[in-house]
Amino acid sequence: MGYPHAPHARETVVLSKYFGDSEATTLDGWRKRGGYVALEKALGMTPAEIVGIVKDSGLRGRGGAGFPTGMKWSFMKPGDGKPHYLCCNADESEPGTFKDREIMRWTPHALIEGCAIGAYAIGAETAYIYIRGEFTEPLQRMEAAVREARAAGVIGPNAMGTGKRVDVWVHKGAGAYICGEETALMNSLEGRRGNPRIKPPFPAVAGVFGQPTTINNVETLAAVPHILNNGAEWYKKFARPDNPKSTGTKLWSVCGNVARPGNYEVVMGFPFKDFLYDLCGGPLPGRKFKAVIPGGSSVPIMNMEEAEAAVMDYEGMVAKGSMLGSAGCIVIDDAQCMVKQIARLARFYAHESCAQCTQCREGTAWTTKIMERIEAGEGSMDDLDTLLEIGDSMTGKTICVLSDSCAVPVVSGIQKWRHEFEAHINGKRCPFRAAAAA
Amino acid sequence: MATSKEMGGTHAESHASHGSAGHLHGEPYQPVFVGERRRQLDELLTRYPTKMAALLPALWMVQEDRGWVSESAMAEVGEVLSLTPAYVKGVVTFYTMYHQHPVGKHFIQVCTTSPCNVCGAEDVVNAFLKHTKCGELGVTSDDGRFTVIEVECLGACGFATPVMINSDFIESVTPEKVPDLLSKLP
Amino acid sequence: MADVKTINLTIEGRPVAVAEGTSILEAARTAGVLIPHYCYHPALPVAGVCRMCLVEVEKAPKLAPACATSVAEGQVVHVHSEKAREARKGVLEMLLINHPLDCPICDQAGECELQDYTFQEGRKDSRYKEPKRFNPMEDFGGDVVYVPNRCILCTRCVRYMDDVAQDPVLNVSERGDRAYIGKFEGKDLTHPWAGNVVDLCPVGALLSKDFLNKARAWELDRTASICPNCTQGCNAIIETRDNVVVRMRPRGNPDVNEFFLCDTGRLDYRWMNGPNRLELPAVRNGTVLVDADWDVALGAAATVLRGKRALVLASPMLSNEALHLLSRVVKATGGTGAFRVARGPEAPLPGVKDLALRSERAANVVGAEKLGFTKTDTPLAGMRDGDVLLIVNHALTEAEIATANRASAVVFVGTTLPAGLTNVAAVLPITNFAEEEGTFTNLRGRVQRFLQAKAAPGLARPSWFVLADLLASLGETTNYFVPSEVFAALAASHPEFAGLSYDALGLRGLPVVGAAQPAGAPS
Repeated sequence: MGYPHAPHARETVVLSKYFGDSEATTLDGWRKRGGYVALEKALGMTPAEIVGIVKDSGLRGRGGAGFPTGMKWSFMKPGDGKPHYLCCNADESEPGTFKDREIMRWTPHALIEGCAIGAYAIGAETAYIYIRGEFTEPLQRMEAAVREARAAGVIGPNAMGTGKRVDVWVHKGAGAYICGEETALMNSLEGRRGNPRIKPPFPAVAGVFGQPTTINNVETLAAVPHILNNGAEWYKKFARPDNPKSTGTKLWSVCGNVARPGNYEVVMGFPFKDFLYDLCGGPLPGRKFKAVIPGGSSVPIMNMEEAEAAVMDYEGMVAKGSMLGSAGCIVIDDAQCMVKQIARLARFYAHESCAQCTQCREGTAWTTKIMERIEAGEGSMDDLDTLLEIGDSMTGKTICVLSDSCAVPVVSGIQKWRHEFEAHINGKRCPFRAAAAA
Repeated sequence: MATSKEMGGTHAESHASHGSAGHLHGEPYQPVFVGERRRQLDELLTRYPTKMAALLPALWMVQEDRGWVSESAMAEVGEVLSLTPAYVKGVVTFYTMYHQHPVGKHFIQVCTTSPCNVCGAEDVVNAFLKHTKCGELGVTSDDGRFTVIEVECLGACGFATPVMINSDFIESVTPEKVPDLLSKLP
Repeated sequence: MADVKTINLTIEGRPVAVAEGTSILEAARTAGVLIPHYCYHPALPVAGVCRMCLVEVEKAPKLAPACATSVAEGQVVHVHSEKAREARKGVLEMLLINHPLDCPICDQAGECELQDYTFQEGRKDSRYKEPKRFNPMEDFGGDVVYVPNRCILCTRCVRYMDDVAQDPVLNVSERGDRAYIGKFEGKDLTHPWAGNVVDLCPVGALLSKDFLNKARAWELDRTASICPNCTQGCNAIIETRDNVVVRMRPRGNPDVNEFFLCDTGRLDYRWMNGPNRLELPAVRNGTVLVDADWDVALGAAATVLRGKRALVLASPMLSNEALHLLSRVVKATGGTGAFRVARGPEAPLPGVKDLALRSERAANVVGAEKLGFTKTDTPLAGMRDGDVLLIVNHALTEAEIATANRASAVVFVGTTLPAGLTNVAAVLPITNFAEEEGTFTNLRGRVQRFLQAKAAPGLARPSWFVLADLLASLGETTNYFVPSEVFAALAASHPEFAGLSYDALGLRGLPVVGAAQPAGAPS
């Protein structure tokens, strides 16, 4: 729902139905709301059946990559005699994104149910929910819910009395955005530095503890019980008629310079212009929208012409030059300085780089320094060329895409707001800072 | 906007000012993993197929117990989990939430990444610096009560500006709310 | 052995056929194509972090890291295409932005891979306008010093200590551009094989304290040799400047020491330059020793030995060639030969099969035994009245000097004359092993050649040459002008050495007949 606001009539409330409802956090409360019916059903099916339904539903990874979930699950070979693992990626650190925290703090049992079904479907007896260390409340809620579920025998060595073992454990992170990258998450879980791994080997072949592993986002797993309860066909209905590739509902985390920030749940293919001006309430009084980063800070920045023409599904966002990503929607108005914000984003990436790859380790810091120098009024025109060339060095050449992500806003910024950069360079100061001081 | 001091700075500082053993002057190091904590760790170890996987949880237990992770504690954790101290240190220094030296009683972390930045997060930082009398980021106030730092995205962007004080997560902080917030701290 | 599939691909236009599972980087090597790289090393687990080895693979959407990508049938790989070059240029630029560019004072200059690749393919100028990152130099203990400002974080040192030395005392500390190689206070690089990190470091970040500021890489002469300090027989390179040994480094040999040398071997070379060397032959004249011509000295030695029983005190540091000839001297005089070997603690390198600093601290213990010399802690125990003592390169203890003075006469063949010997009839100065050519036999029976690295002082002659002359003056025909001829004679008369020759030995060596082969070694 449009939490913390009341749900908007044009939302399609599935995952967010109980946001704000504190009773939904308990096992009994969850059961009253239809919880754990899907898990019971799932444990009576074969893993292959479950994978088939999820494949059919068109569910795609909600963490940012959008990889078809059913296909990912099918990479786990049954009967190989090795312990399989499910990792739930609750590291939510992509700037602009704050949906997984809501799922965990309002509907922790939804996630447990999704993890349990997912684990069973991929032949795993153990699921780890890797929650970033800063998420105090989600950690507390999830730990409490796991304890409740274990005590009630819903999960554990004899899940729902079926004799099947499904263990779900909460694992706390310690402050590293890069641990949201699936292979870095596995390394962190193993007690290592959160360095992404080179692939191959792929997680489904050799993942955590060297065993076949699947990593899924919180929102992805939370959708699974609904798909099992209502069927794949139901899920597929939430799509544009001319785009069956993006199905279901999506939680959009809206933040920045907008009247009603919060999480909104809409169907795939919702028109972005309506979303921004109607559901989210449009810009703040006296301001105009200038830019939107629809999918978390790692996707290209859209100008308003692009944003207002876009539809909110994977393909729709790509068609307008950006990506759906994590649907962390950062809205920037005309009072903000693009140079300053892009510099701040570069600094974020520089802070979070794991340090393995040369281009990322050095390039994120170098980009930040140049951007901050431009913001301070000490830039020159050749800095813009340098930034673009560094960005090219940083793209497509590293173990993971943090490096590429740092280059993305820089490239968008210079492409679409070059005039702001030039104003800093020519005027030898930030025009927005100067205006604010005046 | 704070400068990128931490990029291009020296790590010699952290060596020099915090001593090697990392415990109170003259007092021998007291192990963390005894009694109840040891029992908790042993239970945790049953969840993972390797001892190493309990490293992050063990370091959290140290920080919860002592407020920070000293080199002696790193050596103890290494001993308990059959890891070298150098290895443990490599992990500790990777993750920003583990403190490698004591911090103020109230460790104030303000998110200033872009989604909060466009909503005035820097004003919130300045309000904290002013009202805690810390004056500077990362420096503990003279009375030892406060340390204020900027952190990266806390994952509560729609509730700008989120602030963590130790492990308390506070949403929607504005500069106006800061004095009241501080006055309520023990 | 199960059949391994062969994969055919093209690298830089050259057809390559390698076993399935080979990396593109290794496959390129077989075709004579060097793909520039830093973090990759054949002895270490693949990291794929430096990003230098990115190559263009036709039909692939992204550049591939050659060290971490397996070959595939029909692949067409370009190492020097524009895209690959641009990528490398980008990496090199990034590596240099915080680099102090202090080649004039950096030991690595002249053997630095950052210099090499930058010169080959890097930018000719820097466009970095920001302040550079600075961290002070650190003493890592042992022989190693760390200069963080030059470090490219390839992590070879960390992976080596973790995996090969199995002593994880190094880590990567911090994150992002603040990262550096760290260690724990009080836990230093004291592992007996830690010095290899200096060689592994492609740049001047890890340096040898012993070699610090001593010489420039391009001033050094390099000679293939064998480390003489224990029975392992690690292949080494003796590096000299102006005829002084200044550094010992490992030479690769997959059957002996892979790429490594222990710190003892690395650092214990000063004796090769040792002072107080015997430079001239000498003979006794009354109570004193006087300088003499070689002919005179050899004659005096032969006179003393002829017709007497000789007790030969050999050295396990002598070459096979010298020992072979010495054993013939023993026979010619109807005497016996023995040697003593110093011992120390054994120190294995766990990550490499059968590699250790061995407890017997001399290179040719096995050679000496195979050539008829007895290993004993009391080599003079069998001395009888009237025996003549022939000391060859053996370092006498005080007690042994006292015993030696009771012999009827002493012929001393060596590099330094100890004080206290009272009845030396003749002194024949010889080269030490760095000053002559020969072979050693290691503890696994591997015969390996070492070459002459420096010139001998004064009129000192190679040990085998002197012993051949001594043998000749005792009446045996010898016509050896080069050590390979001596070795041929040795091989002809010892079944275990049958079939071996300098040509066959090359610079990798070969096992004696019947020696256990290391697994996977070519026969």
